[in-house]
Amino acid sequence: MRIWVTGIGVVSPLARGAAATMDRLVAGERAFAPLSLFHLASGDRPSAGAHGDRVQIAAEVAGLTAAEIAPPGEDEGWSRTDAMSVLAAREALGQCAADPRAMPVDLILGGTTAGMFETEDLLAQLSRNPDAISPLRRMLSHPLSSTADHVDTLVGPFRRIRSVCSACSSGANAILLGAAWIRAGASTCVLAGGADALCRLTYTGFGALSALDPAPCRPFDKRRAGLNLGEGAAFLVLEPEETARKRGARPIVELRGWAVGAEAHHITNPERQGTTAARVMNAALSRAELRPADLDYVNAHGTATPLNDVMEAAALRACLGAEVARVAVSSSKGQIGHTLGAAGAIEAAVTAMAIARGVMPPTVGLEEVDPDCRLVHITAARAGIVRAAMSNSFGFGGTDTVLVFAEPDRFPAPRAARRRAVVVTGAATVGAAGVRGVDASADYLDAGPPPPVGPIPFTASEHLDVARARRLDRAGRLGTVAIATALREAGAGAPNADEAQSLGAIVGAAFGSVDASTAYMCRIYDKGAKFASPADFPNLVPSSPVGHASIYLGLRGPVFAMADLGATAESAMVTAADLIVVGEGDAIAAGSVEEASPMIERCLGPMCSGIVGRGVRSEGASVLLFESEERVASRGGRALARLVWWTSWRGDGATPLEDAPAPEGEAAAIFARDELPIARWLERSSWSRAARRIVSPRAGEHEGAGGFAAAAAVAAIARGALRSALVVGRAPSRGYAMLFCAPAAGHGTT
Amino acid sequence: MDSAEVRRELKELMVSELNLEGKNPSDIDDAAPLFGEGLGLDSLDALQLAMSIEERFGVRVPEGDEARPIFASVNALVEHIVRAKAAA
Repeated sequence: MRIWVTGIGVVSPLARGAAATMDRLVAGERAFAPLSLFHLASGDRPSAGAHGDRVQIAAEVAGLTAAEIAPPGEDEGWSRTDAMSVLAAREALGQCAADPRAMPVDLILGGTTAGMFETEDLLAQLSRNPDAISPLRRMLSHPLSSTADHVDTLVGPFRRIRSVCSACSSGANAILLGAAWIRAGASTCVLAGGADALCRLTYTGFGALSALDPAPCRPFDKRRAGLNLGEGAAFLVLEPEETARKRGARPIVELRGWAVGAEAHHITNPERQGTTAARVMNAALSRAELRPADLDYVNAHGTATPLNDVMEAAALRACLGAEVARVAVSSSKGQIGHTLGAAGAIEAAVTAMAIARGVMPPTVGLEEVDPDCRLVHITAARAGIVRAAMSNSFGFGGTDTVLVFAEPDRFPAPRAARRRAVVVTGAATVGAAGVRGVDASADYLDAGPPPPVGPIPFTASEHLDVARARRLDRAGRLGTVAIATALREAGAGAPNADEAQSLGAIVGAAFGSVDASTAYMCRIYDKGAKFASPADFPNLVPSSPVGHASIYLGLRGPVFAMADLGATAESAMVTAADLIVVGEGDAIAAGSVEEASPMIERCLGPMCSGIVGRGVRSEGASVLLFESEERVASRGGRALARLVWWTSWRGDGATPLEDAPAPEGEAAAIFARDELPIARWLERSSWSRAARRIVSPRAGEHEGAGGFAAAAAVAAIARGALRSALVVGRAPSRGYAMLFCAPAAGHGTT
Repeated sequence: MDSAEVRRELKELMVSELNLEGKNPSDIDDAAPLFGEGLGLDSLDALQLAMSIEERFGVRVPEGDEARPIFASVNALVEHIVRAKAAA
């Protein structure tokens, strides 16, 4: 099956529009200018260091505001990230005449900051007096998922939506997930990409890491001194050839290959030899059924930091072999800066346009190649046939993603995917009742006392080597302990080198690290930008807890975060299944970690996730370990339950459970809290008479309670108390469902 | 501020800023290397330490190659702080 890219939309610091951006890249233009979006008082740090006293530069999308795009009167709750996303989404869909109102279109958006620019100063102000925090409309754009929600409002309705974060590879992972959906036959049209606006948090954070070059950056140059930050958004429209042809769409390029893997090395520094990056490049080529000899161009991650560029050059040499002397390489970051969560999508768009136009854009800023970065660098645009090309993206925590594009019909059609059965082999909860493996997690279904209000009791040293876990914040620790517990019980806790490469984790949080971001911003306002904490900054990206877990536990498979308000755990879980079913992952621990916080309890919860005036506010982490049935068989493991059916949807008025297979044996529908839409969905399904069980009376009210419902469901099946359990997750205007059955139950796999 | 005082405060700072949980400031060896072997710190710790030393002592710690000898050990850091404070 061939996957066509039929539409491309880009908002970049060089231009609004994909073609205009490419024209300016090819012309060698650079978008760097003095920072104008915000002013940062540098503070009285006596250092005459690299940041603060010199002119601060960035690659801004000039003249763009949230109000330009937001519906009239609503701009207070919209972000610049939303605005860039909407513009890029409209362009991509318009190019191929794909109208979400007339055909099923799915949306996957990668990012790291969403409305941080609009909310970071308010966060700092509000934190001065936690008692005074109230639901404020301006915080509507704070959750990572708000960008996708706002694109849905103006460009949708989309059938299915995911928000994904893996730091600077987020946009590439959105495209990878879209490819997996199409290959699985789950989608016929996906709008996938990434978006990130500049904000004080990322600007000061990269400054604190000494990663910013005060002058325009020099990728792969001997004198390179760091990156420049940029901002932007980009989307690709992905469609299977067959259905695209039928509706008369034309291919720009083919998306041929993709792969994701984690370095499990360090939260900010890449592996020196680029071993994982090379492994992921090879895997992407293998998925594409291409060899290095088929590639003509690589759009490098090429950040211009001392460590990235030498690592990436080593990885390219390892992957390309002798072909490294022929394949042209360039980095677009010398012109548009590092656009963080958007970078993987913008650069995928650039790579696709390079193939379509037959012209490779240059690396601008590169004058004298670092001997350790020797490759075929192009410093002026080069015309020529580009049969196939690769785009690299690497993120904090060592999350590497590689995409491969090719000319339409240049190479034989790749093989169709073989669907694999997905089973659950482990489950764990870290909640009010402590750290629990699968069996004890069933207690959340039983009657009993509610949890205490606020933070759950948790002593890290009882579960972790705190010397090795010293960089993990509370969310990182709760999440790591949940994953470790599930892996250990599944007998997968001490993976060998091969097993580790097939072991991943998808764990998110509805609102990311709210309190840590607040504390970080307060410090900047109180002390000045020069006193931003380099150690705290990497922990503020939404994928940090799962990234730390991958480093601590040695997980080298797919590692990223998801966010979808109070259904974040469910979003992560169905995404793990979506990847495993078509072989994009073999074993993935998936769930969420949610922390108690006054900002969440008093503002973000009521405002965004609609959790207000209910039971006791608590917190917790939960994960299920999903594996392909074949991996479980080959390692001699034991399935606790089969995942026989799963789905997700948008809109409370949908009838999403009509297709759910009927209950079998002792059965129950299990969910976080009693909500009217869930009752309506169940009534219009074969589960209308099944028992209904809710976990929030025992697990407490928090955005991750749905993950506890899933863990409890698997636990009840493993105990033999249930034969089948339908887990239903809900947040405002969205839902998820997963049907688990006893391993020997009669339901065929989907 | 004499060097004993600087040494005591610096070690407290290291434990709190680098989250050296379970370590007492007095456990930190004055002469042992901070990076690689010894305390096992890395470049991210060096950045955090440099920032917090400026905050606490008002003393700039240089970056890059210049920083290497200064970050060799607690002794070297104390010497740098005391010298820089005297010169200020």
